[in-house]
Amino acid sequence: MKIKIATDFSTAPGPRYIREGKFSGEEFRTKHLLPKLKEGIATNFFFEVELDGTAGFGTSFLEETFGGLIREDKISFETVNSTVKIISFEEPALLDEIREYLQEAHKEKGTNK
Amino acid sequence: MRFKRYRREKNRVENHLSRTEQKVVRQKKQFVARGYTEVKAPSILSFVRNPEDVSEFIAQLRKLEKMRNPVWVILKHVKEIDYDGINVLLSAVVRFQARRIAFNGDLPSDLGVRKIIEESGFFEYIRDDSFKDEDHYELSATKIYTHAKKNVDSVLGQKIIESASKTVWGGARRCPGVQRVFLELMQNTNNHASFEGEGEKHWWLSVKHIKEEKRVIFSFVDYGVGVFRSLKNKKPNDKFFGAIEQLYNKALTSITRHGDSGVLKLIFEGELHRTATGKTYRGKGLPGIFQAFQQNQISNLAMITNNVVFNSSKDTYEPLHNGFEGTFIYWELNERNSKLVTL
Repeated sequence: MKIKIATDFSTAPGPRYIREGKFSGEEFRTKHLLPKLKEGIATNFFFEVELDGTAGFGTSFLEETFGGLIREDKISFETVNSTVKIISFEEPALLDEIREYLQEAHKEKGTNK
Repeated sequence: MRFKRYRREKNRVENHLSRTEQKVVRQKKQFVARGYTEVKAPSILSFVRNPEDVSEFIAQLRKLEKMRNPVWVILKHVKEIDYDGINVLLSAVVRFQARRIAFNGDLPSDLGVRKIIEESGFFEYIRDDSFKDEDHYELSATKIYTHAKKNVDSVLGQKIIESASKTVWGGARRCPGVQRVFLELMQNTNNHASFEGEGEKHWWLSVKHIKEEKRVIFSFVDYGVGVFRSLKNKKPNDKFFGAIEQLYNKALTSITRHGDSGVLKLIFEGELHRTATGKTYRGKGLPGIFQAFQQNQISNLAMITNNVVFNSSKDTYEPLHNGFEGTFIYWELNERNSKLVTL
């Protein structure tokens, strides 16, 4: 299973929240990523999210998309890590950035318990 | 009758004014008599090169706008103008027109300056009374494309980059660094420019293509509260609450820079996020914009906010004595910047 953001969602990913503009991280997470993630968890399948081919990403989009899985959808850090593989050949630095967002959301979740 | 005509011609020659200029002088006298306040534009109308005078000019305009006072802008003596100065003029005229506050002005004597201002559509917008208070303005009928919005518009960013890349590289390219700069700036304006709430303030983006130099100039401005005032106003439940005070202490330890100038440097380096969250987050917000510059995704970055002027071409962080309520960013895209092919 694979989601390519540029073809399955938009070539111009936008802001964090739906209320802030089109093609938000919130929209992508709730309508595309989360259903696929749940499917992946149920079938025990790994799935890929490809970042290449877009105009570029704002940090809020990436944080809301990936950090939001842990913070808003209450998916565990371990589950996200073991189910979702993020791919970017064009901007590999994005992978480190997303890893930071996931760790931060995990840490925040821990402190909020 | 013949003598009157002779005197009129003699006066015109003696005053060294063309007929158009004489008409403008007469108009000005009439407008001032009708309660217009004269505001003299700086002779170098460039926010990057003349930040003190331009910030004072903006402050005067904003004060009069708040008072709903009609304005006559004196442009006659403007000797030099940059496209960021055009952004300032256009945003002012639209704000005044949208609020039904009269706005007018004279013509620059310098023909080069006059041409640039005419190309921007400024004098047409002065006469255009159809502007309303809206979330979105598109001033793209001229050679300088100006967009104003309140929300985050990634599709607009994508289109602007595609068009800019044709000027720079002769064909459509993707520039994720420029798109990130757009998104971070729009998101910042949407989230942080107003104490009243999100999505209150417009951002204004002007884009100028210089085909012969394969260069595109961008200037982005919002007339919000500015970076420092926004950070100082964070509530106790905000992760950035108190972080700015810690940065002031860190900046004090620096030998060469202190105060807001030193803090802006620390923010660019990711210290604000590090202080607030313990994480670097170098790509987030202003650090993301600075990173795009460091990674050669954009060139000639400059920023003005509250009491600081950053200019990458001189590598300086200097105090702005007149202050600027808002955030202004300037950058360029040229052949040497990195890009990706369009898929």
